[in-house]
Amino acid sequence: MTKNNEKVIMLGKIKISSRQFSILIAIYMIGSAILNIPAMLQIVAKQDTWISTIVALVVGLCVLPLYIYLGNRFAHANFTWYIEKLLGKWLGKIVALLFLVTFPAIVAILTLRNIGDFMTTQILEDTPIQAILIIILSVVIMGARLGLEPLARAAELFFPFIMVLLIVFIVLAFPHINFNNVQPVLENGLKPVLKASLIFIAYPFLEPIILSMLFPSVQHTEKNGKALFTGVLIGGFIMVVITILTILVLGTQTVSFAYPSYALAKLIRLGDFLVRIEIIMAVIWFITIFVRLALLFYISIVGIAQVLNLKDYRSLTFPIALLLVPLSLLAFPNAAYFQEFTPIWTIHALVMGFIFPLLLWLIDILKGGGKKTP
Amino acid sequence: MLTIAGILIAVAIIIAIDVPVLLRKKLHKELWLFSFLLCLGTVLGIVQALHIQIANPMDWLIMVYKPVADLVETWLK
Repeated sequence: MTKNNEKVIMLGKIKISSRQFSILIAIYMIGSAILNIPAMLQIVAKQDTWISTIVALVVGLCVLPLYIYLGNRFAHANFTWYIEKLLGKWLGKIVALLFLVTFPAIVAILTLRNIGDFMTTQILEDTPIQAILIIILSVVIMGARLGLEPLARAAELFFPFIMVLLIVFIVLAFPHINFNNVQPVLENGLKPVLKASLIFIAYPFLEPIILSMLFPSVQHTEKNGKALFTGVLIGGFIMVVITILTILVLGTQTVSFAYPSYALAKLIRLGDFLVRIEIIMAVIWFITIFVRLALLFYISIVGIAQVLNLKDYRSLTFPIALLLVPLSLLAFPNAAYFQEFTPIWTIHALVMGFIFPLLLWLIDILKGGGKKTP
Repeated sequence: MLTIAGILIAVAIIIAIDVPVLLRKKLHKELWLFSFLLCLGTVLGIVQALHIQIANPMDWLIMVYKPVADLVETWLK
């Protein structure tokens, strides 16, 4: 136990407030999903996408109690310690490492590739993708090395700007709304709607399990659950609104856009003087994607350092970033592969974000549960 | 060739930043892991710079989940 106590003390140094935690989660949820989700859902559910988004938000909020329960169980120590306690030392270490590498680390690889693809296809068309990935990663490395506190403060500082710009975006898009775009309702039955909901649930609504690993770093542990819930609600709600807006404004032709929300931003104009503001929207997405990526990077590396009992996680930031660049280039050889990968990812996220925590919860209950707090 | 030179320069800078600190603090386990991951990243980067085809880790994920994904796909058709 002495070793674990030391860890507790070490972790005790990093503390963010519940408010900052909520903001980090909200930004994380908007993250790269705001770019990808509208197109991913509309290919499947067409004009009924709006139903899928609401279903996904409800389901996404319903799984939170599970994450909050688990998070509270290790809020005084850390995630790795908890898995080791439940599964035994070695099996626990293997499972924790497997989870960290196959979930947060892969999400980080995919997120990095998303922003690279967005930049090279929409904004900086002649720039090699490697250059963009390296520039983004250098900021992320800086964030991760500075630690969670500066990252949370940066997110807190950016948050009002993100909200104001998003509200401006939503208000200016309103005049373009055409309700005929969502008719006929349920033309193809319920199944495509369910399929689209599954995609949206998997990405990003099953990802807060990763964020629950930050529970030990939040000041008032008892408020963690509420903070997580608020964050997911804000982030999820924004995602739902933006997705519905793209379908209401652009209709089913959105399928022809790789990034419907960006196409929507291009439409926005106020008279003849406020035009081409899409780059401002793109800047919001850089911020949200940066926060998402930095959190994933930080959580994966700190997690790996905890599994291997390292004293300093910072030395891992550069080597792992160096690995992320070739891996994210390798991940998707072409756009068709991404299409094929989406259903696979949905299942993977269900396993990692639902079945895995459910199993942990069951083992926890069988071992005596939350009655006696250690 | 330029890409490989770039990768090697980057690796040299990374070593210059982190290794002295690790050595001074005598963090040997960290140093081993650091070296291992750095080597892996360097090799992967160089292999990619030379346009050599290697296995995509995402293919393994597809291999594992393909049967279940197909099942869901047919059910929701």
